[in-house]
Amino acid sequence: MGNSRIARMTPPRALLLAATLWLGISGPTLAAPDRVVSLNMCTDELLLLLAEPAQIASVTHLAQDEHEFPFWRTARRYPANNGSVVSVAGDRPDLILTMGGIAQDRTWLAERIGAELVVLPFPQSLADVEAAVRTVAAALGREQRGRQFIAIMREMSAARPEAPQETVFLTDSGFSVAENSLGAEWLQLAGLRVPEGQGARVTAETLLVDPPALVIRSDYRRGQTSRGQYWTGFRFIERSPDTRIVLTDGRRWTCSGLSLLPEITRLRAALAQ
Amino acid sequence: MTAQITATGAAIQGRLEPCDLAFEPGTVTMLVGPNGAGKTSLLHALAGLPVATGEICIGGEEIAKFSPGRRLRYLSFLGASRAINWPLLARDYVALGLPAGAPRESVDTVLQSLDAEGFADRRLDQLSTGERSRVMIARALAPSALALLLDEPCANLDPQWQLTILERLGAEAAGGATVILSIHDLELARHYGDRIIVIDGGHIVEDGPPDVALSADNLGSVFGVARKNDHWTRV
Amino acid sequence: MRPFFYLLFVLIVSGLAIASLTVPLHSLPDLFASDPDLAWVVVTELRMPRALLALFYGAVLGASGAAIQALFANPLASPDITGATGGAALGAVFVAYIIGFASPFGIALGGVVGAGVALVLLLLLAGPRAETATLLLAGIAISAITGAGTALALALAPSPFAFYDAYAWLMGSLVDRSLPQLAFAAIPALGAIAYFARCAPALDRLALGEDVAESMGYDVVSLRRNIVIATAIGVGAAVSVCGAVGFIGLVGPVIARRLTAGHPGRAILPAALIGSVLLLAADIAVRFAPPDRSVPIGVLTALIGAPFFLWLVARMRWSIRP
Repeated sequence: MGNSRIARMTPPRALLLAATLWLGISGPTLAAPDRVVSLNMCTDELLLLLAEPAQIASVTHLAQDEHEFPFWRTARRYPANNGSVVSVAGDRPDLILTMGGIAQDRTWLAERIGAELVVLPFPQSLADVEAAVRTVAAALGREQRGRQFIAIMREMSAARPEAPQETVFLTDSGFSVAENSLGAEWLQLAGLRVPEGQGARVTAETLLVDPPALVIRSDYRRGQTSRGQYWTGFRFIERSPDTRIVLTDGRRWTCSGLSLLPEITRLRAALAQ
Repeated sequence: MTAQITATGAAIQGRLEPCDLAFEPGTVTMLVGPNGAGKTSLLHALAGLPVATGEICIGGEEIAKFSPGRRLRYLSFLGASRAINWPLLARDYVALGLPAGAPRESVDTVLQSLDAEGFADRRLDQLSTGERSRVMIARALAPSALALLLDEPCANLDPQWQLTILERLGAEAAGGATVILSIHDLELARHYGDRIIVIDGGHIVEDGPPDVALSADNLGSVFGVARKNDHWTRV
Repeated sequence: MRPFFYLLFVLIVSGLAIASLTVPLHSLPDLFASDPDLAWVVVTELRMPRALLALFYGAVLGASGAAIQALFANPLASPDITGATGGAALGAVFVAYIIGFASPFGIALGGVVGAGVALVLLLLLAGPRAETATLLLAGIAISAITGAGTALALALAPSPFAFYDAYAWLMGSLVDRSLPQLAFAAIPALGAIAYFARCAPALDRLALGEDVAESMGYDVVSLRRNIVIATAIGVGAAVSVCGAVGFIGLVGPVIARRLTAGHPGRAILPAALIGSVLLLAADIAVRFAPPDRSVPIGVLTALIGAPFFLWLVARMRWSIRP
């Protein structure tokens, strides 16, 4: 699905893209889209990081919410949409970025308003994140910038600490990151590994019986009253004297995309202390 | 227009043995028999309900081949249940008995004739059982069908209304209709019936004029009753 | 009746004019001035399918609700009791998240197949004569099974976002539907409504009792089977495109019967009209939700419909006296 734009690209434009890749020319090309909208918070992140500011026509409302999105200040420079094609049609977009959305027929609608459509799959590994960066960068005509981010990801991966430290990642209601998930791969870059057999959720009992030495706790909407915040497991680890709790910016884990790069660096530094 | 009703091999599995019958226009036929004898089943079979087998013809034409609109002019059936499916107005309920395009005045006429115009604009569920029964009979009478098949039209009615309804049905027969009804009151059956069919255990055990069909022997063997000194006794 | 037609017209026009809070009202006239071609596409291909989906989905919910209520002689019955809604949801979720064929077409197809399977199950469970009580109980059992199956399919789905993604659709949404999706939902809906309308005289006569209706030449057994089938197809296809929207199939017929002096069969087309009005109004109302929050239509119709339902139950209890 992510290749739909390339698949529908006209031959001269594909040639131009091939030439760009071969010659290594950076910066916007003549054919680059200049009115790009994103209908999903996770594609908002890619759009804000990869595009020239002038290319961006609209981002989602969620991206402008400081509790949801790390780059909310930047996002507020652009008009907001509610995630539907109909809300951006008047902006005359030439490229629409989105993710998921099973019931909407965005392919048809985008074609009717004359916009290219890139629908990314939900990423499930770092390789998927790289693929998403490449796809969006290519669609924006910003391959060079995409390569820079991928290079940073790879550098970080190469420089990961030798002996990973076992940790339990915790967010509301005991939701965690499962073994072999995208979140676990990001934790590896910070020199952390999730316990063997770890699922997407941790039970409070596990934390009580066998308190982990290290907990990475998401601060997502912390301080706001919700059932998930009162989860018993949090009390157990707070009372456990041998458990070290390190906070992390929960908003960056929602998409587990490029915005985690600085967070991983920060975690590494915090853990080294 | 008048029409003969004929039934060939009319039967309902497990409830009514196959029977061949013919009913002449201008007659009132009473179906009598103990509870569970098969009176309702015979009426169902004559009305051509899908549960029955056999061939029913009115005026020589097979009613199974009639469209619903046409069937309403030939045959009118009153079921045994006085339950209300929908709380319609009495007047609307009666009108549902009419074929499409029939004049609505016939609704008023029939309601008036049963002294029911006083509650014609009330909902069925707000009427007494007797009033509701009269509305349901009015529904069956409204289309002036050639054949009237009525399951216990006298049920739930006071004595005066029972007589009124039976007289009215006699008048319909006199006007050319073929009237077939089930009834429990054997005295009324004898008095108002031209012909009596006695049913027991899904069989027709007697079929003839009242005095023959309701002979002392039949009363004793089928119903287990006898008439002594103007009242009924068990035998 | 006539006021409802006016209301329907006003709602369709407002549905075309109001996109959402994020799109100012004057943007469309502006767009017509600057780029008429694009403006035309926006109206006919983006806003029109949504308005017409609400129109047809509401109509099929109202009409099938009226038909099912007439059939079961019960003013509290609704299309959901055929299990079609639950079957369509399960089929669509299964195709999208377990098989991974997440195109709009795949989901719609999954929905119709799911509704069909639920329907076959219902007819098998209810038996050839399909008595009313058996049908009702079988429908409730099937709804329970499909509900559990849908939750299970979402729980087992590989993508962590599947639940959220499916939730937004299952609870009812008409956003960003295309003309092919409209056709996919509207054609079965129209077919079902046409069939129900043809059954109106039979359903009115059913109010006289099943035996009386049969004596008039109506085949009640096949009527019952065909209405259940038409409901499953019409509602199932709409659910697979728009998600489940409750209570309109319950409330629409009740209002419609006020216009037809309580006649259950005659109420079918008015119920379709009122169903359209209700769903169009609900779909316009959800556009006024704060732009960063989306309110599923099914939630809104349940919030308004459930108290109405309670009132209906209470009134029936109080008015039925021996």
